[in-house]
Amino acid sequence: MFRRLCLVAVVAATAAVAAGCGGGSSSKSKTTSAAGGGGAGCSGTVSLGMLAPITGPAGSIGSDQLHWAQFYVTQWNADSSNSPKLKIVQGDTQLDPSKASTVAQQFASNKSIVGVIGPAGSDEVEATATILKKAGLAFASGSATRVSLTDGKLKGFFFRDVPNDGVQGPTDADYMASTLDVKSGDTVMVVDDQESYSTGLADIVGKELKGNGVKVVRESVSQKATDFSSLTAKVSSDTKVVFLPFQIASEAQLFAQQLKSQGKSAVVFGSDGTFDSSKFTADGSYISFFAPDVTTLSSAKDTVAKFKKQFPGGTSPFGAPNYVLAQIYAEAISTICKNGDDPTRAAVRAEIAKTNLSDTLLGTPVKFTMNGDVAGAKFHVFKIENGKYVTVS
Amino acid sequence: MNWNLFVTELVSGITHGSVYALIALGYSMVYGILKLLNFAHGDVYMVGAFIGYGLITVFGGPLALDVNVVLLLFLMFGCAMLGGGLLGVMIERFAYRRLRNAPRIAPLITALGVSFFLENAAQLVLGAQYQSYNSFSWTNSPIALNGFTLPAHARVSYAQIIVVVGAIVLMIFLTLFVQRTQTGKAMRATSFDREAASMMGIDVDRVIVVTFFIGSALAGAAGVFNCIAYQQVWPYMGFQAGLFAFTAAVVGGIGSLPGAVLGGLLIGLAESFATGYISSTFQQAIVFAILIAVMLIRPSGLLGRADVKKV
Repeated sequence: MFRRLCLVAVVAATAAVAAGCGGGSSSKSKTTSAAGGGGAGCSGTVSLGMLAPITGPAGSIGSDQLHWAQFYVTQWNADSSNSPKLKIVQGDTQLDPSKASTVAQQFASNKSIVGVIGPAGSDEVEATATILKKAGLAFASGSATRVSLTDGKLKGFFFRDVPNDGVQGPTDADYMASTLDVKSGDTVMVVDDQESYSTGLADIVGKELKGNGVKVVRESVSQKATDFSSLTAKVSSDTKVVFLPFQIASEAQLFAQQLKSQGKSAVVFGSDGTFDSSKFTADGSYISFFAPDVTTLSSAKDTVAKFKKQFPGGTSPFGAPNYVLAQIYAEAISTICKNGDDPTRAAVRAEIAKTNLSDTLLGTPVKFTMNGDVAGAKFHVFKIENGKYVTVS
Repeated sequence: MNWNLFVTELVSGITHGSVYALIALGYSMVYGILKLLNFAHGDVYMVGAFIGYGLITVFGGPLALDVNVVLLLFLMFGCAMLGGGLLGVMIERFAYRRLRNAPRIAPLITALGVSFFLENAAQLVLGAQYQSYNSFSWTNSPIALNGFTLPAHARVSYAQIIVVVGAIVLMIFLTLFVQRTQTGKAMRATSFDREAASMMGIDVDRVIVVTFFIGSALAGAAGVFNCIAYQQVWPYMGFQAGLFAFTAAVVGGIGSLPGAVLGGLLIGLAESFATGYISSTFQQAIVFAILIAVMLIRPSGLLGRADVKKV
């Protein structure tokens, strides 16, 4: 028995050493090839990595993002004049920075991947940035809106095709002041859901409102909360607006319903995370969002119909920006190939930085600033009337 | 004194507490007999909620219900309890039975595994999207919107009344079952001493199956109760509810049925009053601080009894 154990231990140790040496040498070669930008040639299929929360609590958002990116790739590949063909390599992050890091490492090691769509969350971007940057990969997010992500440290590597919270916060505060008649001395309740997106935006809006002399009451609930009646009971009669920078639209709906059932008259104002015309339908509420709902855009009607045919079921506004990101990558890679070059990671990064799309599915142009933000981005404000989202700003 | 706030928080706390109590009863029943912490119990609650949601969809959806609301509610509870009960029995049969004599860590880990399995299976089959009972908008009977006005102008909805009354009725039935029936007596005997009960001719396997069925049925009902009052149903909803209910069971005295009810109400009220009078940010911290305080002062829980071992 003892001899058998020793034999097993020796075999295991040998295997571990072999794996370590093999991993080390392959990581060396991977590092070398990453620094040299080794991607597939223009004649083959080029891979794009997709970091999204495909499962987990934010699975609905991530699945939608993946589906829109896959839809674009399907359309691109179906057109015989498009070259090279593309492939999406999925990486499920579950909106967890630690899982996102693991998947990012896999992408970094995968030589066929020349660029990454995602990650979805701002925390995930921060967790994966060093890994992806070291591997020379461009990564572009359609939903990470934290302001600090484009402060310059990821210049040339990180891009996003949505405006950041630095735009949303002042937009929302200005709208409350100018249209909802929130004046100095009035009360606004700001409730975050304890996630970094929400707390960041709540801080920005709170600061803007306080700057206008508004009394801000800050509250915080878990994103997993299923009941807000205890909190809505605290909304005083002189509270004009309740701002909800939530990421789950159905929670904003529940909050608004419970507010109404308690006879409170405060207006509910949700952020882009609550933008979902199938879930948040409380009449009289307002929502800010970085793009129009493409399902309501006449210019996007055909595309949306084709998307729903390929992916039946609901879609949310989080999805369409990833279609545009896939488009940006596809056109960048195609341009590189047309110029006779290889779509290496470095070449893809450089070409993406030059993106200048005059019209996109989102109904807005996309051109990146030096630090990776989309130039001239603005948020829109919608009002819910009879269950429909009507643009009011 | 803001009486409106006080009464509203009281109603909210009792409603939440009723849901936690129903889930906690299942934890206590199973622990009492098997000394097993069934961490998959919160996910049985989730499955019950989805069964209720499925029935709403079958009958036209919340905005176009083509069935009498009272009948719908009875069907939802009935199916959720039956479905939850059967799921509990299956979990016991396939995941726990063979581990009855294993070290206690083994069934504990298995319970966690079953929990993850159920959550991910639900997501795979039913999708990751949040769904809503939308009982604020049920055709002709928006039970979460309509209700009564109490003193101090506090509102209580029909949905909240259904939750509290329903929970009380189920607890009464359970108490009568455990105290007045042969099977209930067998359950009490098995929880006291499994080996002795077996020697006295009690079919312990059958008692365990019945325990899992009843506990899981209560969890299924709790899922429906929660969602008719608070709307949302999604694959991971069982985790937090299960955690709070487990806390309630421990605070009340794990293994004690009255303790589970008391613990559930205490946790529900603590949640509500913490939100109303301290801060919603610290709601969960306060709940778990209560757990720690009770454990320090009375380790067996408020109504639990200390294990006496013969030496």
